[in-house]
Parts: sequence; structure tokens; C-alpha cells
Amino acid sequence: MPRQFAYYPGCVAEFSSKELNATTKALAPMLDIELLPMPQATCCGAGDIAEAKPNLYLTLNVRILSEAEEMGADIMTICNVCTLNLRRANKMVKEDPRLLEQVNGELVNAGARPYQGTIEVTHLLWYLATEEGLSLLEQKGPRGLNGLKVAPYYGCQLLRPSSVMGFEDPDRPQSLERLITALGGEVADYDGKTRCCGFPIILAREEVALKESHVALSGARDAGAQVMVTPCPLCHLAMDAYQRKTEALMGEEYAMPVLHLPQLIGLALGMPTQTMEFKRHFTSMDGVLETVGA
Amino acid sequence: MATTTFRVFRFQPDSGETEAYHQDFNLDHEDKTTVLDALLRLQNEQDGTLAVRYSCRSAICGSCACKVNGKTVLACMTQVEEAKAESGSDTLQVDPIGNFPPIKDLVVDMTSFWEKFKAVKPFLIPDGPAPEKERLVPKAAMEKVAKESACILCAACYSECNSLAADPEFVGPAAFAWGYRFAADERDAQRKNRAKLYSGEHGVWDCTRCMFCNERCPKGVDPRDAIEKLGAIAFQEKVTRDKGARHAKAFLISMRTGGKLNEQLVGGFTDPVGGAFNAPLALRMLQKGKLPVSPLTHRVKNRDQVTKLIKNVKETI
Repeated sequence: MPRQFAYYPGCVAEFSSKELNATTKALAPMLDIELLPMPQATCCGAGDIAEAKPNLYLTLNVRILSEAEEMGADIMTICNVCTLNLRRANKMVKEDPRLLEQVNGELVNAGARPYQGTIEVTHLLWYLATEEGLSLLEQKGPRGLNGLKVAPYYGCQLLRPSSVMGFEDPDRPQSLERLITALGGEVADYDGKTRCCGFPIILAREEVALKESHVALSGARDAGAQVMVTPCPLCHLAMDAYQRKTEALMGEEYAMPVLHLPQLIGLALGMPTQTMEFKRHFTSMDGVLETVGA
Repeated sequence: MATTTFRVFRFQPDSGETEAYHQDFNLDHEDKTTVLDALLRLQNEQDGTLAVRYSCRSAICGSCACKVNGKTVLACMTQVEEAKAESGSDTLQVDPIGNFPPIKDLVVDMTSFWEKFKAVKPFLIPDGPAPEKERLVPKAAMEKVAKESACILCAACYSECNSLAADPEFVGPAAFAWGYRFAADERDAQRKNRAKLYSGEHGVWDCTRCMFCNERCPKGVDPRDAIEKLGAIAFQEKVTRDKGARHAKAFLISMRTGGKLNEQLVGGFTDPVGGAFNAPLALRMLQKGKLPVSPLTHRVKNRDQVTKLIKNVKETI
């Protein structure tokens, strides 16, 4: 029996970065995961709605949790920001029954199902970076990454605040490293892997944001990485789509392809490259495909 | 008893040293020794020139923030053996806090920190003449600002702030925690003016939500949450002209019109003027299929529930 999850890809994976959604959906059956669609689920607000209308943020996110609860499945995400927003709302109402009652009052008034507080929210990375997940990958007999030198890039919101996220030490995360190694890749380690990509402010404060992404891009390059991998589509946009702008601003060249996490696994498991839609990436993946032999 | 190697950041420009370096000290110490106690013993027993800023030794004064194996902590609150176990290393590297220029060894120049702190007007500005007795506040009203009132201005939140590293003029987490503490105080009469003051170019909308401040604060202030609440106050006071506020507004409009993010709207609405300079990138994103050709909204099932929630849910900030 495949493990069922209520699948919450988030808006960026659904629309801008469709290659992430497509690869995840293709990967799931290979890993005995069944992703159940959530037709009622709204955007998590990406921190923006929390910043404008905090009570609305909480209510909308609890409505998403409630849909999963009705489906009888925990939520799986593929985005750092969605993970933080959903987990934060979940923690707030689970720890405060009076708050849950208030939020449920609003949900019921609006004709939505009240939430009972029984759902957990996990990220694909967390599901796979456990002993169980890693042995599952081994069982699938990965063709492997052929020593591809991969820079893990976590970004922020899958690690911090650890009181909400809590999967691993936010200062010394190892989940991506474990996956890279298990899949036959080589880890290119560098300090910038837990720093911010700048994406949340890239439209409002572009220069500040690009200077932030420079820290990670230059760190990965200097560590000799052939490619970066990230569990977050927002980080991916900042690192890949905006990479040329960062190069122009900083007067440096990175030439750094960036993989979405499921694409890294797909490459190792021999998923057809067309399925992973690398043509939608800005930075060429040719060198990566050559090393892996895809 | 335990033995630890301390790799301490040294920089003594007044003594003619132009380059900073790390110096190793070995110290035998009790198991429960704090990093601050260890540094003071090094100063007393091995090198009297080692400069360390400290005062209360009990996590109240906020003077002894430093980096221990890369992580910003209060030296007085951090036990040597625990820090070693956490980082899996028998050596503790001790550095000054980040994002400030070092003056001498572990002491940094915090002038910019205090200037930013003063700039948020971290004091009550009530309206009208002072009453004969004190201005009473119900307990529930003070609970709104209880977390932020715990800030001891240690600057641990500035040390690893990613926005500050990219924009040295960013007002920053602790100052905004204090800003919120007074903006949300019911005795204060400057709520709207504070919203305007904090919404400037290097203000609340500069925060990149890296969450380092919440992670590092030794007093549980959660400065990022305070910044978020200042955003909500700005919305309540209709101070929403900044591009950052417009970005948040675009999410609200997306939610109202479909329930999911409308990428075209977010891009165009956030910065309609400056966005034109981004036309080449937008074009490439269109080519790559990363921007929708159609401006149509993405609609969720049972959208009427979302519409009702947007209408009904009242903000209590």
C-alpha cells in the first residue's frame, strides 16, 4: 500500500515552477507515495498575508489543514514557505484550544469544516531523509548521480524557526547531505547553505535580495559544486531565474545550475529527463546531465 | 573537569595590529563553566590584553553576545561543554557578533545599532497633558507587548540578520521589536506616525524573513514576529504605499479573486514603475513558461468560503 498524503504543492510549484510539480508527481509512485489533490486549498499567504492580516492568515491556513483532516491524510509540501506557514498555524491552534475554538467559529460561519487538530505537515525532504526514507531509496536501486558534486541549499524557512520546524539542527542540517550521498553524489559543503535567497523581497527590494542570493551562489561555486539543489521553489527562482541579474549586479559569474529536490532524486533513479522539464530552467543543465549520464 | 581549546578572534589595531587572526588558548575548567567565565579566566590567567565586553553575567545586561562556533549566543548563558556537544567539536571558536565592525578582539562598534534604536523612538509618546497619577493599562493590553518588552538589546538578532548583511542601513530586528512595543501600547498616540516612520526604504519591508533573529534571540522576543505585526499595523493604519506593502496587498487581492497566487498581479502591482526595468527578465520568464500568458486567476473549490472569511475575520492587532 502506498503511503497517502494530502498534497499541497503551493502556488509557485503549481504555476511558475511547474517542472517541480510535474517531477514530484512522477516521482511519487516510484517511492510508493500517493499524492491526493486538495481542490479547496488556497495559497498559504507566503508570509505576506500574515504580515498584512495575521488573523486572516491563521484562519485560511487552518482551513487548509481541515481539508487534509477531512481526507484523513497528513499534508506533504514541496516548498519551504508553505511548510512554515502551515506548520506555524498548526502549532498555534494545537497549543491554544481557545484560539482553535475562535478560528473554528470563523470557519463554521463561512461554511467551512472546523479543524480538530489531528494533522501533521511534512516536507518531501523530511519524509525521505529518515532511515526509512533512505532505505526506500536504496530499495529502488538508484542508477546514481555518478559522483556529481552537489551543493545542498536549504534556504531559511525549512530550518528556522526551529521551534516550528524542528526536523533537524538548523545550524548543522544534514538531510540534503544524506540524500545526496545516498544517491551517489558528492557533497560540496559551504557556509551559505542556510542563508537566505532573498526571494521574499525580490520584487520590493531587488538589490538587497540579489546581494543575499550572491552569498549562497558564490559559496556553492567556490566549493566546486557542479549544481545546487534546493527543497524550495522560491529559492529556485531566486537562484536560477534571477542568477544573471545577480551576476550583473555583483560583477561575478556563477554559471550554477539549480535542481529542485525531486529532480535530483529523479536523475538518480533514472527518470526521463523530459519529465523533469529542465528546459524550463534558466541555467543550462547540460553539464549535470553529462556527468550523471542521463 | 574538562579541557577545551578556545580559538579566539584577536584584533588589536591600537597596538599596531592591522590584520585580525585567531589565537588558540587551552583551559582546564569545571564542567558547568560558561563561555564568559572561560573568557574571563583566559583574560586573568593567560592574556590580560584580551578584550571582552560584559557586565551582569546573568543574561540581563545584553553585553556579552558573541559567536560560538558560528552561532550567536550570550556568552554568559552558554556552557562550554554544551556548546562543544552541540557542535561536535572539542574546540570552541569565539568570534565577535557579525554585521558590526570590530574595535578590539570581541568588542564591536555598536554605534549604528544605537542610532537605529533611537530612530524608532523607543519611548511612549502619549497625547494630551500628563494625568495626575500614572496612566493605567489593563493587564490584557500589556500582554500584547510582553514578549517585545523582554528585549535586552544584546544585538544577537543583528549578528546574523541576512537583510542587514546586504543592506547595512536596514533598521533591523531589535529596533523594530521596540518599535512594535510602543506602537501597540494603548497609551501611545503615535501609531499611524510610527507606521509611516517604520515603513521607509530601510524599514519593515526590508526584512527578508530569514528567521535568524527569532532563532537567535536569547530572551524569546521573536523580533521577526514583531516586524510582521508592524506590517499589520501599517495595513490597519492604511500606510501601504511601500513596495513591500503593495506586495502583501497583491497576495490579498489574489486571495480575494481566486484563492491562489496570481503571479502577474504580484509582479505588476508590487512595483508598476520599476517593474518596467525588469521587462527583459519578465520576457525570459514568459519564454520559459514561468509567467502565465493569461492574467486569469486560479480559483479554488468552495471559493465562497474564502470570500466570507476575508469579509468576516477581524484583525485584533
